[in-house]
Amino acid sequence: MESLGASLSEVTVRFGGQVAVDALSLDIHPGRVHAIVGENGAGKSTAVNVLFGLIPPSEGEVRIGGAVRRLRSPRDAIDAGLGMVHQHFTLVDSMSVLENVVLCAEPDAGGGLVDFAAARAELVRLAERHGIRVDPDARVAQLSFGARQNVEIVKALYRDARLLVLDEPTAVLTPREIEALFAMLRRLRDAGRAIVLITHKLDEVLAIADQVSVLRKGRLVASRTLAADMDAGARRELRDALGREIVGGELPTPLMRDPRPRGEVVMRATGLSGRAGAMRLGPLQLALHAGEILAVAGVAGNGQDALVRALVGLEPRAVSGRLTLAGRDVTAAGVAQRRALGLCYVPEDRQRAGLALQATVAENASVGRLGGAGFARGPFLGRGHMRRFAESLIRRYRIGVRGPRARARTMSGGNQQKLVVARELELGGVVTIVENPTWGVDIGAIATVHRELMAMRDAGQAILLVSSELDEVLALADRTLVMSGGAVVAEFDRDDTTRQQLGAAMIGGGGSVAA
Amino acid sequence: MLLDPAFLGSVPRFVVPVLLAALGGALCERAGVFNIALEGFVLVGAFAAVAGSWWAQSAGVGVLFACLGGMGMGLLFAEFSVRRGGDAIVVSVALNLLAIGLTTFLLRALFGVSGAFRDPRITGLGTVDLPLLDAVPLVGPPLAALLSGQSPLLWVALALTLLLPFALARHRYGLRLRAAGEAPQALRTGGVSVRRLRTAALLGCGALCGLAGAQLSISNVNLFVENMSAGRGWIAVVAVLLTRGRPLPLFGVAVLFGTADSLSVRIQGLGLPQQATDALPYLATLAALIVASVWRRRHAAAGA
Amino acid sequence: MTAAVVVRALRRAAGVTVPLALLAWLLIALAGAPPGEAIDAFLRGAFGGRRHAYLLSTLSRAGLIVGMAMAAWLSFRAGLFNIGGEGQLVLGGLAAAVVAVHAPGPAPLVMAWAVLAAMAAGACWAMLAGALELAAGVPLLIGSLLLNYPASFFASWVVGHPLRDLASGLPQTDLIVNERWLPNFPGTRLDIGVAVIAIVTIAVIAYGATTTHGLRARLNGLSPAFARASGFPVRRLALQTLAGSGALAGLVGALAVLGLHHRYSDGMLVQPLYAWTGIVAVLLVALVPWAVPLAGFFFAALATGAAGMERTAEVPREIALILQAAIILFVAGYTARSVPGARDDGDAH
Repeated sequence: MESLGASLSEVTVRFGGQVAVDALSLDIHPGRVHAIVGENGAGKSTAVNVLFGLIPPSEGEVRIGGAVRRLRSPRDAIDAGLGMVHQHFTLVDSMSVLENVVLCAEPDAGGGLVDFAAARAELVRLAERHGIRVDPDARVAQLSFGARQNVEIVKALYRDARLLVLDEPTAVLTPREIEALFAMLRRLRDAGRAIVLITHKLDEVLAIADQVSVLRKGRLVASRTLAADMDAGARRELRDALGREIVGGELPTPLMRDPRPRGEVVMRATGLSGRAGAMRLGPLQLALHAGEILAVAGVAGNGQDALVRALVGLEPRAVSGRLTLAGRDVTAAGVAQRRALGLCYVPEDRQRAGLALQATVAENASVGRLGGAGFARGPFLGRGHMRRFAESLIRRYRIGVRGPRARARTMSGGNQQKLVVARELELGGVVTIVENPTWGVDIGAIATVHRELMAMRDAGQAILLVSSELDEVLALADRTLVMSGGAVVAEFDRDDTTRQQLGAAMIGGGGSVAA
Repeated sequence: MLLDPAFLGSVPRFVVPVLLAALGGALCERAGVFNIALEGFVLVGAFAAVAGSWWAQSAGVGVLFACLGGMGMGLLFAEFSVRRGGDAIVVSVALNLLAIGLTTFLLRALFGVSGAFRDPRITGLGTVDLPLLDAVPLVGPPLAALLSGQSPLLWVALALTLLLPFALARHRYGLRLRAAGEAPQALRTGGVSVRRLRTAALLGCGALCGLAGAQLSISNVNLFVENMSAGRGWIAVVAVLLTRGRPLPLFGVAVLFGTADSLSVRIQGLGLPQQATDALPYLATLAALIVASVWRRRHAAAGA
Repeated sequence: MTAAVVVRALRRAAGVTVPLALLAWLLIALAGAPPGEAIDAFLRGAFGGRRHAYLLSTLSRAGLIVGMAMAAWLSFRAGLFNIGGEGQLVLGGLAAAVVAVHAPGPAPLVMAWAVLAAMAAGACWAMLAGALELAAGVPLLIGSLLLNYPASFFASWVVGHPLRDLASGLPQTDLIVNERWLPNFPGTRLDIGVAVIAIVTIAVIAYGATTTHGLRARLNGLSPAFARASGFPVRRLALQTLAGSGALAGLVGALAVLGLHHRYSDGMLVQPLYAWTGIVAVLLVALVPWAVPLAGFFFAALATGAAGMERTAEVPREIALILQAAIILFVAGYTARSVPGARDDGDAH
């Protein structure tokens, strides 16, 4: 196999008025794992999309194998020997692994018919050679995320990729799956391939990278080669240095926690079960107390979605068991009734469920208060009052937006999230359910959201935090439940929680601490 | 009465247009194009068939024109929805109206008539006879009534019903078509143009709807009447949505609707007012939708 | 409004009008009519006539189209793709005619009952489509569309058999007595239906902009997931909005019966495609409410002008329909999703 390198040379990418990538130059060498780090919105994905031919650069050149290439589409990049595993899976769920692997590179059996037999043989051969486990006839819809990741990698190898790019591959993997992935990447690297890994997680960098480049606001801030072995001190220093480079200053200070004991139970679920698609939920129980943050950790897709929907009341008829809120039985109640009893909800999908993007900030902020004084006079809206309320939220939470009359669509992801959190927390409810609140959000906004959640907790609110980010769970939670396969498999108290324990629990069972 | 040879013979005449249009709709559905303009496609096809057949005094040319007319509509859809990004529903509504306007306009401008166009120069599509079928014991005569003496488009429709699932499973473009509808990003990241696939699906849909129209205007009868498609395109849309474009269930649904349609015409003879039998296919479609959805719900609740 | 925005608007306007003008020219040529004469006939047919008879006719038609457009607007903005306006219109018109012809009592009272009956009929038919979706899972788009046909057929049967006008033998109700006709504007032949529609249009727009119900309905249309997560009573909202939409369609039918035709005859509300024209008018202006009357008037002028072209220059009047459809196609390519909440077709690239 011929080794292949690539480089970006003074590449700039502009979208409308925004500069996503600014005069970026990067070199990718064969036989090395090159990690590209940066916070959300730093331009990492955009940069590699240029390399892969998905986005044409506004300025600059792409070189593959030493020659300048004008890539008109991913086809050109693939033909040149590149392969990419994208941030969101590009698999067709209803098709088999084999069909997915050959899609767009189908071997011809004559007349356009696909030669599945030849493809199957090649697939089996590749899987064996690289030690990847794939079942050619399994339907992708039934595969775990880790298995789907493997299919994506095999897809690239099937097309003879000698330079492999992986964009945030570990977001949906359990710690053990991450280890397996890294082992495979090491094998591929040792065989001479170039690997590019995009991540925002620094321990991954330390675990596997040979080279690290830091991007901030579309520019290259630093690029260094990592020594083969580093002691604990050197690792820590490197982490801190990278962290500072990513943020462009000092890291936000860690949260202060009010050590007062928690209060009474405000929400209790017993024997809660239901289903979400193919996944069965429960039966499970949980008890949420006032003045605590109860985290539900676990890799995405293990029933957290179903749990939240059951607690919020989005499908009351699909759920059985018993759920009480503020002392009342709400098992059969709809969302409106639960909200009236003091439930607040910050949904994961902020753009579709958290906001109406085409509506104004004032309208989005006032939802949930439209029955209240000032916001409505009889059947008519009190638009002045709504506007003033929105202005107060914008001030308090430092939301970056032109004003209350601007459409929610014009805000960045982080500011949109701040608005949703602000609105829900300001309702002054009894229980707030928060789902992955800092996904895709810049570090400044993450700090704001975490601070507000902590402030609410200190003020006596009960918060259920569903998060697949271990760092977030470790920073915020008073207690942690781990979900796997639709059930709660472990419970941890704050003082006893370590990353390793959580990780172990996530792959099924182990580690239960009396509450 | 159901086995009455005259009734059996009439069923395919109603099934074929719905089936052909539905197969065309299935192509769009699988490719991810929400095309609800089948009614307009079929109407244009019916008119084009008559125009072509009249002009060249040949049914073959009529069929060719029908395909071309349908494909023209498909191209319009592709241009304004796939390429320019117009909402598919808006484009569909516009194309349906365009079809009504265009066919009626041309009826008057080109042929100088309104209402209906009859002319001896319109050459009808012949029939395909299967004389040997009669000799088969027991099932022969009813099968003969059903299948013999029918339009060649029946056989085209049946062949496509079998060909389509095969192509979707085993042909390169069948695979890509399915991906276009379910996960277009799989194609984009593979460097294949989703737009081109969807345009091809629309062209295929246009051709098939054109054939459906030809069946209506130069096979079932030999004339063109304003608004000749008379809801067949809408029934095809419903069939496609019900079955999500899967060819074999689609066949079953099309046969069901076609039979109901044919039945409603027969019932007319029993003294019910014209309008009641006219409404029957729509009521039957609604009933079928309700039953299907209730069945689906019960099936899902029972756990899978 | 920056210069760039204006330039873009002008370029788009040109991108629509130029192909349209070409298309119109082509169609007129196909019909074998001299273009100058045809255009002249068009303008006179839409805006001229003795004592502005044609202009008034355009206004009258515009009123009905705008009414149907606002009915569609109410549904579409709430994310409800109710395309059953035609059925609701027909049943409304029929109900009004039946009451106005056969009910006893003083004229103003009977007329009020006729209007109420029409609105009730339209509202019920629209809610039926909604119920089909909520209870039986039939998508509103399909259910409302399919219900158009039985409604038309039923109305056709009613005026063809039990309530037929025996004097003329035509499929229509008897003529409504004079006292129960909508009054005209003084000194003209235009009935006040247009004014009623204008008032109703303003009220409907005000509803959308200033009431909490209107805001909730609109937010539901923009983002159904958001509405559900926020605890909106989505089912109640949907049924209430559909009822309003159907009632408005029924009202339009009543106005057409009491004002324009003074009876209900088979096909009189379907043939001119009031409902479908209303739908395309509202889609054309991408649901911007104050532009709906403009679009309605435009399409009405197109239709009456084309009728004039047919009378004088022998260009079939369907040219209006063709041009209308072409306009929608071109504009569709320029506007982003016109109907919030309608099925997302995915990207165009």
